[in-house]
Amino acid sequence: MSQDKDPQSADILVPSTDPEKKKDESEKPKINGDAKGKGKGESEEVEISEEDLQLKTELEMLVERLKESDTNLYLPALESLRTLIKTSTSSMTSVPKPLKFLRPHYEELGQIREGWSDSLKEQKSLLASILSVLAMTYSDTGKRDTLFYRLLSQSTEAPGSWGHEYVRHLSSELGEEYNARFVGEEEHVNGHMNGEANGAAEKTSDRNYSVDQLRSLALELVDFNLKHNAEADAVDLLLELECIEQIVSRIDEKTWPRVCQYMVSCVPLLVPPDDVHFLRTASEIYAKFNRYPEALALAVRLNDRTLIRELYAAPTNPVMKKQLSYFLARAQIPLHWVHTAEDTEKEGDGPAPLQDEDTLLCLGNTKLSHHFRNFGKAVDVHEPRSVEDIYKTHLETTRTTHNADSARHNLASTFVNAFVNAGFGNDKLMVAAPEGQSWIYKNKEQGMLSATASIGLSMMWDSEAGIDFIDKYSYSSEENIKAGAFLAMGILHSGIRPDPDVAFALLEEHTMSKSLPLQISAINGIGIAYAGTCRADIRDLLLPHIADDANSMEVASMAALALGFVFVGSADEEIATGILRTLLERESTALDSEWTIFLVLALGLLFLGSQDTSEATLETLRAVEHEIGQTAEILVDVCSYAGTGNVLKVQKMLHLCAEHAAKEKKKKDDPKEPATEGASGTAAAPAEGDGDVAMGGESAQPASGDDAPASAPAASSIEAPVPPPPGEAEEDEEDEDEQVESKPLKHQAVATIGIALIAMGEEVGAEMALRQYQHLMTFGDPVIRKSVPLALGLISASNPQLSILDTLSKYSHDSDLEVAQNAIIAMGLVGAGTNNARLAQMLRQLAVYYYKEPDCFFIVRVAQGLVHMGKGTIGLNPFYHDGQVMSRTAVAGLLSVLVSFTNSKAFVLGSHHWMLYWLVTAMYPQFLITLNEQQEELATTVRVGQAVNTIGLAGTRMGISGFQTHQTPVRIATGERAELGTNEYFPYASVLEGLVILKKNEGYDAQDVQM
Amino acid sequence: MGQGPSSGAGPRRGAGDRESKDNKKPDAPKWEPPVPTRVGKKKRRGPDASSKLPPVFPTTRCKLKMLKMERIKDYLLMEEEFVSNQASTAGEDRTAADRSKVDDLKGSPMGVGSLEEIIDDDHAIVSISNGSEYYVGIMSFVDKDMLEPGCSVLVHHKTHSIVGVLADDTDPMVSVMKLDKAPTESYADIGGLETQIQEIKESVELPLTHPELYEEMGIRPPKGVILYGVPGTGKTLLAKAVANQTSATFLRIVGSELIQKYLGDGPKLVRELFRVAEENAPSIVFIDEIDAVGTKRYDSSSSGQREIQRTMLELLNQLDGFDTRGDVKVIMATNRIESLDPALIRPGRIDRKIEFPLPDTKTKRHIFKLHTSRMSLAEDVDLEELVMTKDDLSGADIKAVCTEAGLLALRERRMRVTKQDFNSAREKVLYRKDENTPAGLYL
Repeated sequence: MSQDKDPQSADILVPSTDPEKKKDESEKPKINGDAKGKGKGESEEVEISEEDLQLKTELEMLVERLKESDTNLYLPALESLRTLIKTSTSSMTSVPKPLKFLRPHYEELGQIREGWSDSLKEQKSLLASILSVLAMTYSDTGKRDTLFYRLLSQSTEAPGSWGHEYVRHLSSELGEEYNARFVGEEEHVNGHMNGEANGAAEKTSDRNYSVDQLRSLALELVDFNLKHNAEADAVDLLLELECIEQIVSRIDEKTWPRVCQYMVSCVPLLVPPDDVHFLRTASEIYAKFNRYPEALALAVRLNDRTLIRELYAAPTNPVMKKQLSYFLARAQIPLHWVHTAEDTEKEGDGPAPLQDEDTLLCLGNTKLSHHFRNFGKAVDVHEPRSVEDIYKTHLETTRTTHNADSARHNLASTFVNAFVNAGFGNDKLMVAAPEGQSWIYKNKEQGMLSATASIGLSMMWDSEAGIDFIDKYSYSSEENIKAGAFLAMGILHSGIRPDPDVAFALLEEHTMSKSLPLQISAINGIGIAYAGTCRADIRDLLLPHIADDANSMEVASMAALALGFVFVGSADEEIATGILRTLLERESTALDSEWTIFLVLALGLLFLGSQDTSEATLETLRAVEHEIGQTAEILVDVCSYAGTGNVLKVQKMLHLCAEHAAKEKKKKDDPKEPATEGASGTAAAPAEGDGDVAMGGESAQPASGDDAPASAPAASSIEAPVPPPPGEAEEDEEDEDEQVESKPLKHQAVATIGIALIAMGEEVGAEMALRQYQHLMTFGDPVIRKSVPLALGLISASNPQLSILDTLSKYSHDSDLEVAQNAIIAMGLVGAGTNNARLAQMLRQLAVYYYKEPDCFFIVRVAQGLVHMGKGTIGLNPFYHDGQVMSRTAVAGLLSVLVSFTNSKAFVLGSHHWMLYWLVTAMYPQFLITLNEQQEELATTVRVGQAVNTIGLAGTRMGISGFQTHQTPVRIATGERAELGTNEYFPYASVLEGLVILKKNEGYDAQDVQM
Repeated sequence: MGQGPSSGAGPRRGAGDRESKDNKKPDAPKWEPPVPTRVGKKKRRGPDASSKLPPVFPTTRCKLKMLKMERIKDYLLMEEEFVSNQASTAGEDRTAADRSKVDDLKGSPMGVGSLEEIIDDDHAIVSISNGSEYYVGIMSFVDKDMLEPGCSVLVHHKTHSIVGVLADDTDPMVSVMKLDKAPTESYADIGGLETQIQEIKESVELPLTHPELYEEMGIRPPKGVILYGVPGTGKTLLAKAVANQTSATFLRIVGSELIQKYLGDGPKLVRELFRVAEENAPSIVFIDEIDAVGTKRYDSSSSGQREIQRTMLELLNQLDGFDTRGDVKVIMATNRIESLDPALIRPGRIDRKIEFPLPDTKTKRHIFKLHTSRMSLAEDVDLEELVMTKDDLSGADIKAVCTEAGLLALRERRMRVTKQDFNSAREKVLYRKDENTPAGLYL
C-alpha cells in the first residue's frame, strides 16, 4: 500500500494509534522481522475494522466517480466527499480517517482536476478546496500545496469551515510563502545571471501569487482567528505578512485587550521596523476604543511628540484629560509639547493649545508633595526616622565600639538621613533640627555642600515651603553652604513643574558665578530640576559654557551633563554639535581630565532610547583622536538602544569586553616588572587575580588563594606588611596607577554597564544578561570586574531578586576593594526603597566587616540609606506603567551615578559625593492613590499582589497572584500589580499606579457579591 | 589596598588565621573571599539558579514564545562565543597547569571520610573510617556549596584536609528501577485497546511532549493514570509500549518492592524514587501491582501492615502533596481497583482511570493475528473459528493458546502448526483455567 511507496509519510503524521503504520516502521529494527513478510499482506487488510472498510470503499467509490466522464455526478460526489471530510472527528493523536484513506488518491485527484475542462468551474473550485485540505497531510513540506490549491479554488467558503488545523496549516504556509517570495526575488536575479535556475523559475512561475492575494487570504484567516480566541495567531500572521496595521479595523470590543497586550509584549523582541509599527498600531487600537491612558503610554514609549499631542487632545472628558495629565507628569514629558503658555513665543510646527489652570496643576505634578505626605501618613511612615534607626548598630556584633573618622561618618549620616526621610520634609537632622544646632556645621568643606543639598531632598517636591527654608542658606557666607543651597533648590523641583518657575529664576545668574562650587552646583541644580523638559532657554543658557575654551573641563562637562539631563532622549542637534565640537577641538591634555567622561555621557543621554538617530553622531565621533572617543562611541551607542534589548548591540559590547587582549596587558606589565614600582601592589595586583599572576610571573602560579606559595609576585613586598593608611597619599598613587593601567581599557567599563542598559527593558534579556556578567566577572579585566556590580545594580534597580542579591553579596567581599565598593552601592540600588530585611542584614554585616575601611564603610552606610529610601516608599526603578515604559530621566540619573562610580576615587569617594544626588531624578514614590473626579483623595479597596504574566494564555485570568486587600493609598513595589477590589468604581487608567482617578459605578450595589 | 580587609577588617570568622598567614607571606595575591557559605542547605533539585535559563511565557505556541526562545538562543550563542574566546586567549596550558597543580595538592591516595561539622569557611571536622575525628582545613578549590554535614568527602592522605566531595549516592535500589534498555514491545504489538492507548497518550505522553496544547486549552494535564482490568488484558504490555515509545526517563517498580524489611525503608524508597524521577524529569513512573501497598487502610495491630500503610501514605504525598512535581507522570496498574484506598485514586492524584476489558471478537481476532503472524501455520488452520468461540479469553490466554499449539507441534517435530494443535491447545488452556484453579480467586 501507500506506506511502502512513501516511507516519509510516517514522519508527517503524528505518531499514531494506527497499528499498521507502526508495524512497517518497526520492521527494520526488529530482529525477527523476517518471519513477518508472509503474514503481512494478510494483516494489512484485516487490521482495518469494518466501519473503516466501509468508509474506505465509499471514498474510493467517490473518487472513481470523479474519474468517470459523467460530469453531472461530479458535484454530488464532491459534496459528499466534503461532508465526509468535514464530519470526521480528528483525534489529537492521529490523522482523521477519511484523510488517511484518501491519501493514495491524492496525486490522482490532482490530475483529474487538471483534466477537467474549464466549464466545470464550480466543480474545479470545490475539488481544489478538497485537495487543499488533503495537501495538509500529504504534501511534502516546502511545496505549500495547501496554499496553492486554496488560492486556485478561489472559493468564497470560509477557511474556518474546514477546521482549526486547516487554518493553522494555511497560516504557516502563508508565512512561508511570503518569506520565500523575498528570497525568491533575490534568487531570481541570480538565476537570470547564469540561466541555470530557469527550470526552477518556470516551475514556480505558475505559483506566483501577488502580495494582495496572499494578504486578502491572510485577512480572512485573521478574522477567523480573532473570532476563535486565537488573537496571538492573528497577530503572528499579520506580522509575517508585514501588514499589522490591518488589524485595527478587524478587532472588536471583545478582542482588543488581548490583541494589544500580546502586541505590546512582542515589541522588545522584534526587529526594528516592526517594533515601531507594533507600538503605533497598538496605540491606534487603544485610541480607537477610548483607552487613552494606554495609548498615551505607548506614544510616550515611542517618544513621538505629535502622537502624544494628538492623543492628549483627543478625549473630550475633562476628567480623562486630567488622568492623562498625571501620566504625562509622571513621564516628565516637556510641558510645551502639549501646552503653550500665553506669553511665550509659539514654537515651530503648529503651537500647542493653551491648557486650563486645573489641567496645568496636574501636568505640573504640583500636588505630588501633598499626595506623597498623605500617603506617608496613611501607611504610617510619616514620622521621621533617625539615622540610628537605619543603622541598627545594636544588632551589629561589633568587636570595637567605634573608630571611623567622624567627618566621614557624619557625611554618611547626612546622606542616609536625606534618602530615608526624602520628601516628608520633617527629618530631625536638617529640617526639624533645633535652631543653631544645624547638622550642616558638623560637616567639613564639601560635606557642608552635601549637607545643605540634603535639605532639598528632605523637602523634595514641596516647592513653596522648600524655597522658604533653603533661601536663608543661599545667603550664607560659606561658599559650600551656598553651593549646597543651589543644589538643594534643583533637587527640590525634580519631577515637578510649579507655576512660578522659581528654580530657574534663582539659579540662572549663578551659572555664571566666578566661584567654581557655586557654578557647578547651580548648573547641576538646573539639570536636576528641569530633567526631561527640553527647555530652549536652558539650552541657550548652558550651551556657551560647553563651547567656551576658557572654562575648565569640569565646568564644561557639568554644563553638558545638565543639558543632557534636560534634553534627555531628544536627540537635540544643536547640543550634540556643541559637545562634539568640544571633543574635537579641545586639547588632548584637557580631554585627559577625569571629568571628560561626563561630557560624553551627556552626549549619550541626548540620544537615550532614540535608536538609530544617533548614527551621524557616531560617525563624527570616529574622528575624535583622543581615546575618550571610543568611550564616547560606546556610550552613545548603548544609550541610543537603552531598554530595547537589542541583541546585536549586546553582542558588540561583549566583543568589546572580550578585548582585554594580552597585548595591552603585557604593555602595562612590562614597564612595571623591572621598575618594581611600589604602587603596583596596592590595588592592581590583588585585583587582577590569578590571571595576571600567571602571565606576569614566569612560573605558573596556582589559582588557589590559601595555598598560594610565597613566591607570588614580590613586587609589592616592600609595602605590604604595613598596609598604607588610606588617605591622600594613597589616592595620588592610585590615580597614577589608573593612568598607567586602565586608561586604554576604560571604555570597557561603559561597555559593561551598557549591556545592562540595553538588556534591562526586557525580562528574558535581563535574565540572560546576568549570565553574561558571571562570565565577565570570571574572565574580565579589573576594569570590567569593577563595573559588573554597577551594571547589576542598574539592571534590577529597586527589585531585589534573590539571585542578584546573592551575587552582589559575594562580590561585596571581593579582594579588589573597588569591586566590593561598587557591589555595595549596587546592593543599595537593587534594594532601593524596599526595606528588604535580608538586604538590610547583609549590609549590617558588611558594616561590621568593613568598619576599618572608611571608604567601604561610607558606601555601606549610603547603601543602607538607599535601601530604606523614603522609608520604603520611594523607588528607583526606571520602568513604570506596569514596567512597560522607561523613564528617560530616571535612566539619566542612574546612569550618571553609575558612571561616576566607575571612577569612584575621583568623584564620590573624593570630594564630589554630591554626585549621589543625581539619583534624585530616578526617585519616584511607589504609591497608588485613588482620586475622585474632583481630584480629592478617595479611599477604596484594592487588591495588591505579584504581577502574573497572562499574555497569550487561554481564558480570563487574574493578573495578580497572592494578593492582599488594602485600602488606598497603598504601596506598589516593583513586580507588583493592583486591581480594584470591588466594582464600586471604575478607574480611568487601567494600570493602577501613581495617581488614578476613579469614576463611581452608578449601578453598584454593595449587597451583590462581587467576584 | 588589597590587604586592607584581610589585615584589618577581616571577616569575623577565621580572621585570626588569615592574619597570621598574611604576616608570613604578606603578599598572598588572593585570599579566599569569605563567601557566605550556606552550610547544609545544599540545593537538591534542578540546576543551579545562576545557570538556569529564564522561563518563557506564554507557553502556548505563538510567535512571542518563539521570539523569546530565539532571544535566549542568541544570548547563549554570545555566551559561548565569549567564553570560548576567553578560554583560548587565556591559553589551555594554563588550565592544564592548574589542573595538574590541583591534582598535586590533592595527593594520592585520598582517604574517604565523613564530614561531621563545618567550623568556618575553611575548617571542618571530619571523621575517618577508623572512628577518629580530625579538625582539618578545607582546600580552596573544593566546591563549598556541595559540602553539608554528613556527606562523604575526600581527604588528603597525610594532612587529612578536605580535597574533594563525593557525590551523594542515590539508593542503588532506585537506580535499578531506571529502565536503560527500552522494551521491544511497541504500540503495534497491542491488539485493540485503541481507546486505552489514546487515553494514556493524552494523559502521559502528550503533556511531556506538547505541554502547550494543554496550556492553550487552559487545563492542567493529568498527573497520572491507573490501568485496571482483569488479568491478562494488557496493562503491563501497554506500559511497556509507553516505555518503548517515549524518550522520557522511565522508572518502573513493582508494588511489592516497596515493602522493605526495616521500618521506614519503604517510605524512604518512595521518596528516593520520586526524587530520582524529578532529577531526571521529564519522567514516567510505572508502579505495577499497586494493590501490594495501596489497599484500603484499616486498623491493624500488625506492625508490618502498618508499615505498608505508611508506605502508601508517603506515596499519596508524593503524588499530590505539598511539593509540586514537575514533569513526572505516574502510571499504576492493578487488577483489583476496588480494593485500593480511595485517597490513592482520587482525582488530582490519579486523574484518569483506564479500564481494560476482556477483548471482543474484533480485538481477539487482532490478537490472534499478532501472535500467529510469526508462526508457520498449516493450511487448515482457521483462526476465525477460534475467534468466534464464546470462551472468555483474555489477551494472555490467546497468547497461551498460540504458544501451547506451537509446543504441541514442536513435540511432534512438525514444521507447521495444525488446526488440531490449536484445538487441543485451546482445550488445555481452558481446562486449566476452569478446573485447576479455584475460579473465584483467579477472576
